[in-house]
Amino acid sequence: MTRALSCVGKSVPRGDAVEKVTGSARYAHDLALPGMLHAALVTSPHASARIARVDVADAAALPGVRAILAGANLDVRLGLYMRDKRILARDVVRYQGEPVVAVAADTLDIAREACRRVRVEYEPTRAVFDPRDAMKSGAPLVHPDLESYAHLEGVFFPKSNTNVAHHQKIRKGDVDAAIASAEVTLEARFDNPPVQHVPMETHAAIAQALPDGRVEIWTSSQSPYTVRHLMSVVFGLPHASIRVHVPYVGGGFGGKAGLNLEPLVYVLSKAAGGRPVKFVATREQEFNTLPSRQGLHSTIEIGATRAGKIVALKATYVWDAGAYADYGVNVGRAAAYSGAGPYAVPNCSIDSFVVYTNKVYGTAYRGFGHLEVLWGIERAIDQMARKLGLDPAEFRRRNLLTVGDTTITGETFTAGHGKPVECLDAVAKAIEWGTPSTPPASSTKRRGKGIAMLHKAPAMPTSTSCSAIIKLDEDGAADILVSGVDYGQGTYTVLRQIAAEELRLPIDAVHINSDCDTAFTPYDWQTVASRFSYMGGHAVIEAAADCLRQLRFAAAQVFGVAPEKIVCENASAYPDGEPERAIPYRSLALGYVYPNGNAIGGPVIGHGRFIARGLTHLAPDTGQGRPAQFWTYGAHGVEVEVDTETGEIEILRIASAVDAGKVLNAGLARGQVIGGVVQGIGSALWEGFRFDKEGRLKNPSFVDYKIPTAKDLPREMVPILLENPQPDGPYGARGVAEHPMISVPSAIGNALYDALGIEFASLPLSPEHVIARLAEKGTKP
Amino acid sequence: MHDIELRVNGHAERASVPAGMTLLEFLRDRLALTGAKEGCGIGECGACTVLLDRTPVTACLVLAVEADGLDVRTIEGEAADGELSALQRAFVDAGAVQCGFCTPGMIMSARALLLRSPHPSDEEIVEAIAGNLCRCTGYEAILAAIRAASGTGGEP
Amino acid sequence: MLGRFEYARPQSVDEACRLLAEGGRAAAVLAGGTDLLVDLRNGFRSPSLLVDVKRLGELQALKTRSDETVVGAAVPLNVVVENRELRKAYAGLSDAALSIATYQLRNRATVAGNLCNASPAADMAPILLVLDAELTVQNAKGTRAVPVATLFTGAKRTCLVPGDVVIDVRMPPLDGELRTAFRKQQRIRGHDLAVVNAAAAYAPSRATLRVAVGSCAPTPVLLEPFDTKGTSPQALADEVLRAAAAATAPIDDVRASAAYRRAVLPVLLRRLLADVVSGRGGGI
Ligand SMILES: Cc1cc2nc3c(=O)[nH]c(=O)nc-3n(C[C@H](O)[C@H](O)[C@H](O)COP(=O)(O)OP(=O)(O)OC[C@H]3O[C@@H](n4cnc5c(N)ncnc54)[C@H](O)[C@@H]3O)c2cc1C
Ligand code: FES
Ligand code: FES
Repeated sequence: MTRALSCVGKSVPRGDAVEKVTGSARYAHDLALPGMLHAALVTSPHASARIARVDVADAAALPGVRAILAGANLDVRLGLYMRDKRILARDVVRYQGEPVVAVAADTLDIAREACRRVRVEYEPTRAVFDPRDAMKSGAPLVHPDLESYAHLEGVFFPKSNTNVAHHQKIRKGDVDAAIASAEVTLEARFDNPPVQHVPMETHAAIAQALPDGRVEIWTSSQSPYTVRHLMSVVFGLPHASIRVHVPYVGGGFGGKAGLNLEPLVYVLSKAAGGRPVKFVATREQEFNTLPSRQGLHSTIEIGATRAGKIVALKATYVWDAGAYADYGVNVGRAAAYSGAGPYAVPNCSIDSFVVYTNKVYGTAYRGFGHLEVLWGIERAIDQMARKLGLDPAEFRRRNLLTVGDTTITGETFTAGHGKPVECLDAVAKAIEWGTPSTPPASSTKRRGKGIAMLHKAPAMPTSTSCSAIIKLDEDGAADILVSGVDYGQGTYTVLRQIAAEELRLPIDAVHINSDCDTAFTPYDWQTVASRFSYMGGHAVIEAAADCLRQLRFAAAQVFGVAPEKIVCENASAYPDGEPERAIPYRSLALGYVYPNGNAIGGPVIGHGRFIARGLTHLAPDTGQGRPAQFWTYGAHGVEVEVDTETGEIEILRIASAVDAGKVLNAGLARGQVIGGVVQGIGSALWEGFRFDKEGRLKNPSFVDYKIPTAKDLPREMVPILLENPQPDGPYGARGVAEHPMISVPSAIGNALYDALGIEFASLPLSPEHVIARLAEKGTKP
Repeated sequence: MHDIELRVNGHAERASVPAGMTLLEFLRDRLALTGAKEGCGIGECGACTVLLDRTPVTACLVLAVEADGLDVRTIEGEAADGELSALQRAFVDAGAVQCGFCTPGMIMSARALLLRSPHPSDEEIVEAIAGNLCRCTGYEAILAAIRAASGTGGEP
Repeated sequence: MLGRFEYARPQSVDEACRLLAEGGRAAAVLAGGTDLLVDLRNGFRSPSLLVDVKRLGELQALKTRSDETVVGAAVPLNVVVENRELRKAYAGLSDAALSIATYQLRNRATVAGNLCNASPAADMAPILLVLDAELTVQNAKGTRAVPVATLFTGAKRTCLVPGDVVIDVRMPPLDGELRTAFRKQQRIRGHDLAVVNAAAAYAPSRATLRVAVGSCAPTPVLLEPFDTKGTSPQALADEVLRAAAAATAPIDDVRASAAYRRAVLPVLLRRLLADVVSGRGGGI
């Protein structure tokens, strides 16, 4: 039976908004426990050095200091996929900003004062900062012991005695032959600097080591269960002894996935006799100590026929992992299997190297490598179109994946993947592609238009799973329990809508936990990869079905009919065709009571789950396999105006289309698109780490790391959400949270070519960068 | 230590504070008013915005002693008698909130704007909140919320 | 906490001067605190006494009469920005103030603090240089006038000595029309420090043009006055550009390369001249 949707698809406002607009929403930053200590860090001023001596005597003598730890006190190694990291640097430091000594004290001021009294002697050693240099023989090894590190076997392939933490290969067809015989070829290089996520809430965590060996953690994390699991692995604790709470999280964007500060506060709490210890990263530490998005150097070769068909694509991606592999190896992997863009490429070869350097390390960031890779691909596609004398949109149309094509990992593209070409056409129309820009008001300004495609699939283990519980309350309302984290993207609201739809309840009668607690909320891998609505949606649908089954069973007994004959509608149950006899859920939620006092049924608690289906590991030598549960496609069209005298770029309009499959909440989806586009503009125009010659980060604060403000918005933003359903998605939906950010720089770069006739190859496209290129070209207006 | 007296959200407060304590620390650690957030500690992000004698300031760059004798208003004073102000309602309805970490500061900047200019122009709105960084929303919905709250009265 | 120090809120300027004199180098004047408190937090400075001068009556003055324009040292920048008389007389001053930081910060930050902090990029410096402004400075020994043109002695250094309190900033009497303008090149449209900034004041009746440039040398630089009589706008612009290039020595830093500064300085100056010569800069 298909019925019109009553709740899914509507712009239901966020359930947590009232708490957030009143300031009562609690974040890890805001939490305090009785007896809590505060932690501070001594971090390395050197990018690469041997730690010769650590003297904490003066610091320890300070009244109020409860624990001081250095790397020598701690044996364990950590790491998400590769156990290459220490809680505190031991023997050597590998990046400037790396934690070396940690202090827990009665107050933050005492902890900081103690840190100032710690004396560390370093002997600087040879460092390597450019991953391309790091790949050369004779380069200093960031991890000489790489060979001995435990890592996820069969998925990641570190190369002993090199700086290569992972090499991902994709091989399809015979790329060399195809390029050699191609009618038109192109080779181009592109660069992306490392950048930061800049969540407005910096990382924060509290841990208490309890006397019986249990641990309780409160953390600003995207991954309560991953934190629990990795804590268990690292410290050899049973899972049940670790309890992870995640209160409201002030933004994450990938940077709060995996394991971050939790081990640090745990070992400090242990050392301080079990008192709770809180650490809140300063903004400078957020930039300099906590992970970032890795830089990338791409080399892309494309071969095509004169008629405009791509015959081959060969790419080398060299990722600047920084000092530790963390999520970076998986970014390098995911970006490789997506590394040819959303195109049908018969012959393809991609080598993605994730390379250690002496810089702050990388992790997941919205887009998971795709913004970086597509900066190159989508710029190269434009260049190729021009070489062929084709309109860049038309060249894309001729090569976009369509039904029956195979992807570069051997997956068949089906109608269920959505329609990339519709995304392209939608943005082309929105920016009046093909019509030249109206002339700018000033003769020193130039205008141009650009288009770029995007695609991404969730990068996750083949067995990724999640679960949900729904409990009915005394009043018949539903409570959802999940462990995915809503750090702003709005998934909780979407899950409430799904539950309301399935349970036939009004949205106000569906509640969801506002924080996660691994002691009570059920398993979820972690909240990354834009898969929470998809997987969590499935789990909620199943949990709702479980509730309905229990409700129907009890109602069937009451009415003396078969359970299949019971209809659940309007928060009540009745025999089919007899709505006037309806019993409200509230009379069934805890069990039905007959007039004589007899009771049947019992509390209605449903449970649902979902596990990724049909995914395979990629073949080590060819990368063939099925890496992705679903793909989401999209496109941006942008019109820019450039001031050729100052280099400033103004975005006149940007249209962004994403094939969402089904829009579950239009307001939230729009918010994701606008927010993502503006973050993408940050990556495009301003953001990027700047290091000095010694590898010290020169812009670890908002003074010199600029993110978009309300003054930096495009004149017009046009979000376009298409609905070509994902057959196995909840209501046909697929993930859209990360995607709007991807390829924003590419579209702007393409528009910049249109405006200036200059090929930009590196980001950000800052005023200074634009002027430098204009000067090179000798174009004086 | 300095003895200070001030009003916070209409309540008289008396306290003894060290000179080095910021107003933000005083509000968060002494009065448990954790609505104002620290996003940077150096005046750049606006997450700590509160009103000092009706004008918005970044509480991370104000000493608690400097607020002696003054009137402080925080996000906790915005929903008078537990009813959301029209401005707060507009933030909820416009979808101007995602992670919510910037929201208290953003609303205080908007509140101050409506106090001095009940019908602000778009330009005034942008100028008023440009000192409040938001990484999630892309600002568009926030601008819409403030526009919607325009004319709803200077006071909550 | 921003450190361990004492705080004093003197009741009179004399008391402030006395406290500061006693404190010597270890004492610091606290105005809006938007520079000083950041320095404390970052550990760049650690004075043992802050003397808060914000509530002293003498420092609150704001007079905009044709014979005398006075901006008290404790007047927040937003008050400067929003003052209509000031805008009418000195559009460049209002624009410079408006270009600083954010609305919240401008409720605290002061003109005097901006000057005393003596950043090479200080946005109030170029405009006050071209206006021939003077600071009224008081200390335990007395009161003196310090021309802004002699204030800066190096990056983050001034000729003020411990014990000095700036009371106000004064602009000389306006005789006839004066057109002023300020321009700032920044990395992003949101709040940012200047990559290059510049101000101009043009008095058509006296045929003089004054120009000052910031962020291109260790201190803001005031160029020698230009005689505009009989000079074509193009020739004048060339002359200004030549003088500016000769008087500045941009460096590479995290905000911009010297090359970029050299590239945008002429652009900024040309636009500035268009502002004042075409009259966009306003006047009385
Ligand atoms: C986020 C942010 C953005 C900023 N953006 C800009 C910008 O765009 N452009 C710009 O130019 N600046 C900017 N600044 C710097 C700062 O805001 C300005 O320089 C401001 O004008 C300083 O004034 P204040 O009153 O806050 O000074 P304070 O911090 O109080 O004092 C600064 C210095 O001057 C001394 N001083 C202050 N008043 C007196 C007095 N009356 N007598 C003697 N000495 C005195 C103090 O002892 C101290 O050394 C920014 C700062 C921040 C935090
Ligand atoms: S915390 Fe005060 S402005 Fe960022
Ligand atoms: S809502 Fe997250 S920073 Fe604004």
